[in-house]
Amino acid sequence: MSFTHVLGIARRSPTFAVGFGIILVFAVMAALADVIAPLPPTLSFPYATLKPPGTDPFLWGSDGNGMDVFSRTIHGARYAFGIALPAGVIMAVVGIPLGLIAGWRGGWVDEILLRILDVLRAFPTIILALAIVAATGQGFLNVILVVGFLDSPIFARIVRAEVLSLRNATFVRAAVAAGNPEWRVLLVHILPNAILGATAQLPLRMAWAVRISATLAFIGIGVQAPAPEWGAMIRQGSEYVISGEWWVALFPGLALIAMVLGLNLAGDGLSDLLDPKRRATGK
Amino acid sequence: MTLGGFLLRRALVALPVLLGILFLTFMLVRIGDQDPVAMLAGPMADAPMLARIRAELMLDQPLLTQFWGYLGRLVQGDLGMSWQGNSPVTQAIADHLPATLELVTLAVGIGALVGVPLGLHAAERPNGWFDQLSRFGSLFGFSLPTYWLGLMAIFVFFYLLGWAPAPMGRVSMMVTPPEVVTGSVLIDSLIAGNWEAAWSAAGQLVLPVGCFTIVATAPIIKHTRAIAIEVMGSDYIRYARACGFPRRVIRRIALRAALVPVITFVGSEFTSLLAAASLIEFVFAWGGLGHWGLNAILLGDFAAVQGYVLVLALASVLVFALVDLVVMLLEPRARA
Amino acid sequence: MTLLDVQDLHVEFVARGLDNQLRIARALNGVSFTVAAGEVVGLVGETGAGKSLTALAAMGLLRPPARIPRGSIRFEGQEIIGQPDRVLEKIRGRRMAMIVQSPLTSLDPLKRVGDQLVRMQRVHGTARGAAARAKAEAMLAAVRIPDPARRMQAWPHELSGGMAQRVLIAMALVNDPALIIADEPTTGLDVTVQAQVLDTLRDIVAARNLGALVITHDLGVVAHYCQRVAVMFAGQIIEDGPVQQVFARPAHPYTQALIASTPGRIAQLGWTLTGGTPPDLYNLPTGCLYRDRCPRATTACLAPPPRIAVSDSHGAACHFAGEAA
Repeated sequence: MSFTHVLGIARRSPTFAVGFGIILVFAVMAALADVIAPLPPTLSFPYATLKPPGTDPFLWGSDGNGMDVFSRTIHGARYAFGIALPAGVIMAVVGIPLGLIAGWRGGWVDEILLRILDVLRAFPTIILALAIVAATGQGFLNVILVVGFLDSPIFARIVRAEVLSLRNATFVRAAVAAGNPEWRVLLVHILPNAILGATAQLPLRMAWAVRISATLAFIGIGVQAPAPEWGAMIRQGSEYVISGEWWVALFPGLALIAMVLGLNLAGDGLSDLLDPKRRATGK
Repeated sequence: MTLGGFLLRRALVALPVLLGILFLTFMLVRIGDQDPVAMLAGPMADAPMLARIRAELMLDQPLLTQFWGYLGRLVQGDLGMSWQGNSPVTQAIADHLPATLELVTLAVGIGALVGVPLGLHAAERPNGWFDQLSRFGSLFGFSLPTYWLGLMAIFVFFYLLGWAPAPMGRVSMMVTPPEVVTGSVLIDSLIAGNWEAAWSAAGQLVLPVGCFTIVATAPIIKHTRAIAIEVMGSDYIRYARACGFPRRVIRRIALRAALVPVITFVGSEFTSLLAAASLIEFVFAWGGLGHWGLNAILLGDFAAVQGYVLVLALASVLVFALVDLVVMLLEPRARA
Repeated sequence: MTLLDVQDLHVEFVARGLDNQLRIARALNGVSFTVAAGEVVGLVGETGAGKSLTALAAMGLLRPPARIPRGSIRFEGQEIIGQPDRVLEKIRGRRMAMIVQSPLTSLDPLKRVGDQLVRMQRVHGTARGAAARAKAEAMLAAVRIPDPARRMQAWPHELSGGMAQRVLIAMALVNDPALIIADEPTTGLDVTVQAQVLDTLRDIVAARNLGALVITHDLGVVAHYCQRVAVMFAGQIIEDGPVQQVFARPAHPYTQALIASTPGRIAQLGWTLTGGTPPDLYNLPTGCLYRDRCPRATTACLAPPPRIAVSDSHGAACHFAGEAA
C-alpha cells in the first residue's frame, strides 16, 4: 500500500476517496472533540441565549439554552460514530451468519428470513423503529440495538444473494467435489467472497443508521436534549427557524448531511472498486 | 392468467404479511409503559372509574384475547376508537389520508418526471461529467434529512424572502375552505370554483412538495441510471448496434426495456415515501395521515397506531399489485 | 470481387492498473485477410486469439477503451476505420450483416419476431408495411423455419436456441447484404441443430453469391463449410490458404498442432499440442509469438517471422514454413 496505490485508488474511484476523507475528518473530530471544541458541549450561559454566529465566544452562535452550537456540533460526531459502529457490528454479527445459512442451506431459516423481509418491505422501517423505541424506552443504547437489529435482515439478504450466486460457482462445486467438509467450503470458499461482496453495503447501511437515529431524536424519541446529538439539536433549532434564528438548526444539519454523505460516497465508491466487471473496463 | 385469479393469488400472499404486521404492532404498542387509561380518564378519575374504562376497552383481558377481539371487529370494518381525537379510527384515516396522498403523489410524480430523464441521460455516457454530477447529486439527495430541508426552506422562503405562506397546514386561515369532496384542498377548491382557496392551497403545497420532491428524486435518478446502464450493456442493445440502428431507434428500444424495472422501482418509492411523509408533515403542520400517525405513536394511541400501520401496509400491498398488473401488460414474458 | 479487405489491423486496449500505471494490451497485431463475393472464409483460433475482435472492428463496432492505432479495413472499397456512426449505420445490417453468438438474448425481448424483421427493413429503408411483412415471412421460410406465418407472431422467449439462431440469420439476410459475418454462430446449439443451421447458411450464401466470414474455434466447421481459412494466434494470422491445402499440408507448427489435436487425429499423429498459455498481451515478446510453445523453435525465432508462401494462395508466418514438415 504505497503512495502510488493510494493515488491509484483515488483516481479509480474519486467517490470513495472523497467519502473516506469526510469520514476521516469526522473521526478526528470525534476523537479530539474535547480538544477542538472551545467550550464543553452542555455548558450553559443563561444570559447569552440565541446569540448569532460570531458573538464571542460562540463561533456558530448559541442555542436556546445558551450553549455553544459549534462545540455541540463537534461533539455530535461522537454520537454519529456511537451509532454507526455498533450498529454496523450488530448488522455484521447477526446478518452475515443468517445470510450465510439462509443462502447455503435454504430450508426453514431461509423461509423465516424471507418472511421477515416481506414484513419489512410492507412495513416502513422508520415507523417500525419509531414504534419500537417509543414502546421499549428511549435510551441511546436502545436506539443502537433497535437500529442494528432492524437492519440486520436487510444485510442478511445482501449476504444471502451473494451466497446464492456463489453456490453454483465452479470453484465452489470443485471444492465440494474434492471432498471438503461442508463447514470448510462455507468458511474458506464462500464466506470470504460473500463478505467481500457485502462489504460495500456496510457503509451504506451505516449511513442509514446515522440518519435514522438522528430522525428519531428529531421527533423527540431516543436521544434527548441537551445531549449534543445532531437530530436533537435540529429539534431544538426547529422552534427558532420561524423567528429567524437559523443557526441552531443549520449547523448540526450540515454536519449530519456531511457525515451521511461521506458514508454514502464511500459505500458507492467501494462497490465500484470491488466490482471486477467495472474494474476490467478500466477508466 | 385471468385478472380475478391474479388478484386472488395476490390477496392470499398478502394476508399472512398483513396479519404478521398487525400482530407485531399490536404487541409492540402494548409492551410500552404508556397507559392510555390514565390519559383518557384525566386527573380527576378514581380507581373504580379507571377499572370501568379498562374493562370497556378490554384492556384487562389477556393480550391474545384482545388481539382476537381486535381482528373480529376489524373484519366488520371497526378499527376501534382513536383516543387523541375521540373519533373512530376509520373516520380519522378517511379525514387524514387525502392530505398525505396529495403530498406523496405530487412528490413521486414530479420526482419520476424529473428523475427518470436525468437518470437516462446520465446512463448515456457512464462516467462522463453529467453522470458524475448526477451521481453525486443523487447521493447528496440521499443524505438530506427531509425535516431539516423543510426547516431551512421555511427559513429562507417564509422568514427571509416572504415568498411562501406560513408553514401552518394546507390552506390559509384567512380563506374559507371548500367543501370536502376528494380531500385534496386544491382539487376541492377547483371543483367548487373557489379560486382564492385554490391559490392559497397551491401556495401551501409548494414548499413541502418541493422539499419532498428533492428527497424523492435522488433514488429515482440513481436507480434509473443503474437500470439504463444494465440495459445498454445487454446483448440485444449490442445486437441492435450491429444491425446498424441509429441512436434514436436504439434509444427507443432501451427506453422500452427500462420501463418495467423503472415502474417497479417508482412503485416501491411511493410506498416508502408514504411513511416518510410523516416527517415533512410534522415540520409543515400538514395534518395528514403521517402527522396523525406520528402523534399516535408518540401518545400511545393504540388503535390509531394500528390503523396507521394497517393503512401503510395495505397501501404497499395495493401498489405492488398495481405495479405487477402494469408489468404484466408491458412485459410479454410475465404474461406466460 | 473483393468485398472485405483488412490490412495490417492493430487493436489495443488501454487500462489503468491499481498502481495508477497505464497498461496497454495489444490484442490484434497486424491482421490481414480478404473476403471476396461468393467465398466463405473461416477464421479459427483459440479463445482470446482475437477472432471476435476482428469481426467487431470490421463492423466498425469497437468502442473505447479499445482503439485502432494502425491498419485499414476496406469494405466494398470504402474505408471503415474512423468513419462516424452515421455513415457506418448505413452499412451495418444493410450491406454487411452480423450473426451473433447468443441468439436468445440478442433479440429484442419486447418485440415479436415478425415486427423485428420489419423494423430491420424499415430502419434501412429497404421496404415497409405489407411488403416488409411479406419479405420477412419469406425470409423465415428461406431459413427453413416451419410455419413462418405463425412464427411471425412469436415472442423471442418462446423460441428454442436453434430457432432463434435461424431468426438471426433471417434478420441478417432480410436486407440482401453483400457480406455476412457470423461470430461463432452455433456455439451452444446441439450438434444436429448446429449442422442444420450451418447447412441453411451455406446454401443461402451460395445461392445468393454472398461473401461470408465465419468465426469459429471448431475445425470441423471450417472443413465442412469454408473455402478458405485463416488461423489466428495471439492477435495475428499465422497461416492462411485454401481449406484443403491448409488441412492437408499445414505449414505452421501451431496449425499442425491444432489439426493434430482434433478428435480422431490424436491417436493417428500423437499428442503434439504443447501446453502453455498464450503470450501475455500486456507484455508481448518480440519475434515469433508462438516460440515458447513451439517444438521447432530455434534462435532464428527471436526475429519476427515473415509470411512465407507455401503455394500461390497458401502461406504461413513461420521461419520454417518453406521446409517440408
